[in-house]
Amino acid sequence: MVIEVHQLTRRFGSLTAVDELSFTVQPGHVTGFLGPNGAGKTTTMRLILGLDVPTSGQALVDGRRYGDLIQPLRKVGTLLDASAVHPSRTAWQHALAIALSNGIGRRRVTEVLRLTGVDEVANRRVGGFSLGMKQRLGIAVALLGDAPTLILDEPVNGLDPEGIRWIRQFLAQLAAQGRTILVSSHVLSEMALTADHLLILGRGKLLADTSTARFLDSNARHDVLLRSPRATDLRALITARGASVTRQADGALVVTGMDAAAVGDLAAGHGIAVHALTARTASLEDAYLDLTGDSVQYRGEMTPVEGVAAS
Amino acid sequence: MISAARLPADRGTPSLAARALDVLACEWVKFWSVRSTPWTLLAALVTPVVLSDLVAFITAQSPSPAPGGPPPDPMFSSFLGLEYAVLAVCVLGVLQFSSEYSTGLIRTTFVAVPRRRAVLAAKAAVTGSVLLLAGEGVSFTSFFIVQGVLHTRHLGVSFAHPGALGAVLANGTLLLACSLFALAVGAIARHTAGGIAATIALITVPSILGLLPAPWGSRIGRFTLIDAAQQVSYLHPRPDLLSPAWSLLVLSAWPATALAVAAVRITRSQT
Repeated sequence: MVIEVHQLTRRFGSLTAVDELSFTVQPGHVTGFLGPNGAGKTTTMRLILGLDVPTSGQALVDGRRYGDLIQPLRKVGTLLDASAVHPSRTAWQHALAIALSNGIGRRRVTEVLRLTGVDEVANRRVGGFSLGMKQRLGIAVALLGDAPTLILDEPVNGLDPEGIRWIRQFLAQLAAQGRTILVSSHVLSEMALTADHLLILGRGKLLADTSTARFLDSNARHDVLLRSPRATDLRALITARGASVTRQADGALVVTGMDAAAVGDLAAGHGIAVHALTARTASLEDAYLDLTGDSVQYRGEMTPVEGVAAS
Repeated sequence: MISAARLPADRGTPSLAARALDVLACEWVKFWSVRSTPWTLLAALVTPVVLSDLVAFITAQSPSPAPGGPPPDPMFSSFLGLEYAVLAVCVLGVLQFSSEYSTGLIRTTFVAVPRRRAVLAAKAAVTGSVLLLAGEGVSFTSFFIVQGVLHTRHLGVSFAHPGALGAVLANGTLLLACSLFALAVGAIARHTAGGIAATIALITVPSILGLLPAPWGSRIGRFTLIDAAQQVSYLHPRPDLLSPAWSLLVLSAWPATALAVAAVRITRSQT
């Protein structure tokens, strides 16, 4: 089963939430759906699930529109908003009602509640649950139909570290069984560990569709920051050694392809003074922010700090 | 690691009837698993029985009707109590959809059952059948107690009386009509407070028009939901009111119209 999205567009008045989006989610992988808040991840998922109607384009699950699926929970397991429960129902009643709607029996309800660790509080009212416990219940409901496709919107939200690790391993297992799994998140560091394929979204547009390994390779940069009164001379020497140099607005040089020791030795060998020499490692978070930087819709006053805090 | 061969097998397509029963089972569990259901039902059952007994008792104690005036309809006090259950029933009806919209559960519901009209139909079937039973229960209980009280003054009627059984049965349908009307308004409003306010306004405000000077009062009043229900159960039809058959049609038109609007709204909009 694959999820196919063709030229999907959704406009709300003048705002284009999803902009001619096309991608395919393949079975056997955990595909991370990544993007800053407001990038259109949830809207895309809602369009796939038939909760909203696209302005143009289409989304298909197993070659069919979601709304045309019979007993859809057996084809697609979904977690959208774990807090969307009636507070006065117990976890068991909530899961049972949803199970019955697709002809799923009580035994399976007991099974998924045990699998997600909700069984001990199954007879308590959901209103008293922590966000983490609601999240587990939401995941339990997504698993009810033992579906070959899973669509999970921010499943790690509110989970404790143990819970995050559990779901990461669990999703990897489900993918290994040949299921198609689409998991959204706005936190790259989490997705780097959970997903083996990434779809990166910004302002409703697809910015990257790549394997996680390739994204890490091409984006985890190492460089050397250099300040020198004879920057121009030094730059010529470095480029002559085959490394590449860019000059920042403040006059500092950024060297890639040569480590800090080699740069220092080279300068010393030619009697050039060096005022600053710093080896830098650009984190994945930086690469992600670089990529989505122009597309962040709700930017805080101190973007870099917020970016770090989010990780 | 688990082997790749553990994907569930396709079980074939269940029949339409089986799927309809599944959605009904789901809504049945939802209906009974919220605390507001038993409480509102209790209020809807107890209030009318107590009230109609009280009215019957007062009627039995008071002096005979003014000479020349029409005798009070023997069904009147049975019906009167039921009117006071309408409020509780409206709240219960509105909540069926509005609580799902306000909690966001409606999205889970529509993801599980993308045919949204099936959800509307199942909710209407569950709520309607429970409230029909409740309404008939109240109607019969009130009838027996009230007629027992009135009998002491020889004002009562028995089931042997022509039309009495039909009147009691018709009486019980008021709660069914109100619950379905309220359920539809809840689906249209998607908001609990707004839905309840709209339902009560739509049911009670037209009744005030019944107080307009004759002949306009009864001309308009006979088309209101509550008056239509009352007319269905009158044992002594009055010339200025609709016949029981027409009243029944008016009574059904209220929830039918609201449900039709809800069916359009529920499928046309995003959630």
